[in-house]
Amino acid sequence: MVERLDITFAALADPTRRAMLASLAQGECSIGELAAPHAMSFAGASKHVKALERAGLVERRKAGRQQLCRLKAEPLREAQGWLRQWEQFWNERLDVLEALIEAEKERAE
Amino acid sequence: MTPPIILTVSRDFDAAPETVFDAWLDPAKAGKFLFATPDGEVVKVEIDARVGGHALIVDRRASGDARHHLQYEVIDRPHRLVFLFRADPAGEGQWTRVSIDIAARGAGATLTLTHEMDPQWAAYEDQTRKGWTMILESLAKVMADD
Repeated sequence: MVERLDITFAALADPTRRAMLASLAQGECSIGELAAPHAMSFAGASKHVKALERAGLVERRKAGRQQLCRLKAEPLREAQGWLRQWEQFWNERLDVLEALIEAEKERAE
Repeated sequence: MTPPIILTVSRDFDAAPETVFDAWLDPAKAGKFLFATPDGEVVKVEIDARVGGHALIVDRRASGDARHHLQYEVIDRPHRLVFLFRADPAGEGQWTRVSIDIAARGAGATLTLTHEMDPQWAAYEDQTRKGWTMILESLAKVMADD
């Protein structure tokens, strides 16, 4: 899973690609729409989309003359899963630590 | 370049920063809270509380012994504790980094724990981390709507 996440994160290292993902999080976009906020050529935007596609983060489909891109959330879900698992772990640990400190205080009183 | 996955958890304690800090390095206390699982029994706690020192906590479970390894990188009582951490079971050789910051808050203390999935990522500057955290958060919201 970690190796797979590496590919995901490498694709996300670029700020333009992160911004594109944020746009795609709002819904399907054409490559032209993805290029617009970045003052970028169609070819430039297409390159970034390809990197996201390789990382499994984006899916493309043809719609007439346009190519529409869609966010694929699965690799990000894995990252989310890792985060959630450890968040639960540490919250439980801190619950026990809190109880331990409280019990000690009561004994001292 | 690979951005980090970073997890942050905060907790307010009704105790002095020193009390909260010391629990992490005191074998008797660490054995009770750090890796104890409800159905397990901590059978070994060895803590060499020095920078570069190691700790081993063994939690005996029905499924076998879980051996958790730590190595201390920063020990700055009572404000900051940083250790590399390899939980069991984990991918072989897969170390992560845990940083604990403790700040005084009135008569109590606020603990902020940061867990980085890969220690090599600690080298990356804050902007990268913030950018990454932001995108994860915004995407989490989108996913929650699915």
